[in-house]
Amino acid sequence: MKALILLGCPETPSQTPMAVYAFSKLTKLGYDVTIAANPAASKLVRVSDPEDYYNLNIVDLERTLGEVNEGDYDLLVGFVHKDAAAAFFVTFDQILNTKSIALVFERDIDLVGEFVEMIEESGSEAKICAVRAFHNPSPIKINFDKALKELE
Amino acid sequence: MSFCLDTYLQQSDNYEIHASKAGFKDCAMIIRFKSEEIVYIKPGDQVLGVRVIGIPPIPIGFDNKKGTVFLPYTKPCHGTSVIELPIGAEEVEKIKKLDTGSKK
Repeated sequence: MKALILLGCPETPSQTPMAVYAFSKLTKLGYDVTIAANPAASKLVRVSDPEDYYNLNIVDLERTLGEVNEGDYDLLVGFVHKDAAAAFFVTFDQILNTKSIALVFERDIDLVGEFVEMIEESGSEAKICAVRAFHNPSPIKINFDKALKELE
Repeated sequence: MSFCLDTYLQQSDNYEIHASKAGFKDCAMIIRFKSEEIVYIKPGDQVLGVRVIGIPPIPIGFDNKKGTVFLPYTKPCHGTSVIELPIGAEEVEKIKKLDTGSKK
């Protein structure tokens, strides 16, 4: 089983620890996990694992977008905390046409609603975990764990 | 070698940016407003060598007199922009074949 984790712009503090958390969780569930991120977000994740404890597999987001095809992954997990991240998630979701989880979070609850609406309007069947969060990753982590349990 | 939009934007100044660092929906509205002809495509469809990112139906506009195309261009940290650039008849036909027929 293969899983793809999509990272958005690295401006939000919760994304990096949650990326490592999601990688570890999915690996333990038996997934062969890949993280797709832009160079800035990749750097933050790489530096978080200096001893290569997690053996993180990180690839370039835009190169992956150009190469990915339906059937390449069994699960898509996307961090959606910006308008562009919602657009990227929906695009990967439509190309891969597989099970997907959208981790929607923002400090502004109206924006959380807006991003959820964008995903729903696309016709996506993604499991959407939407919470108000910025510095504190706990609300995202709790919702992600719940979504994984539902997948099992 | 086929056309690559990323390379074109880095190496040419023959394009116009009508909106930048905007939301996808605003950019879609600008494309609909500025174009004399529009086709709607799916996210991930290839236009000018790149997969277009966005919420479906994604509008791609044409100004047939100027021979230009309007398209959304999304980057993770910079949001979505509307870019207008020259396009050949062959590429226009390729894009028109992607039309989903959606109207929005």
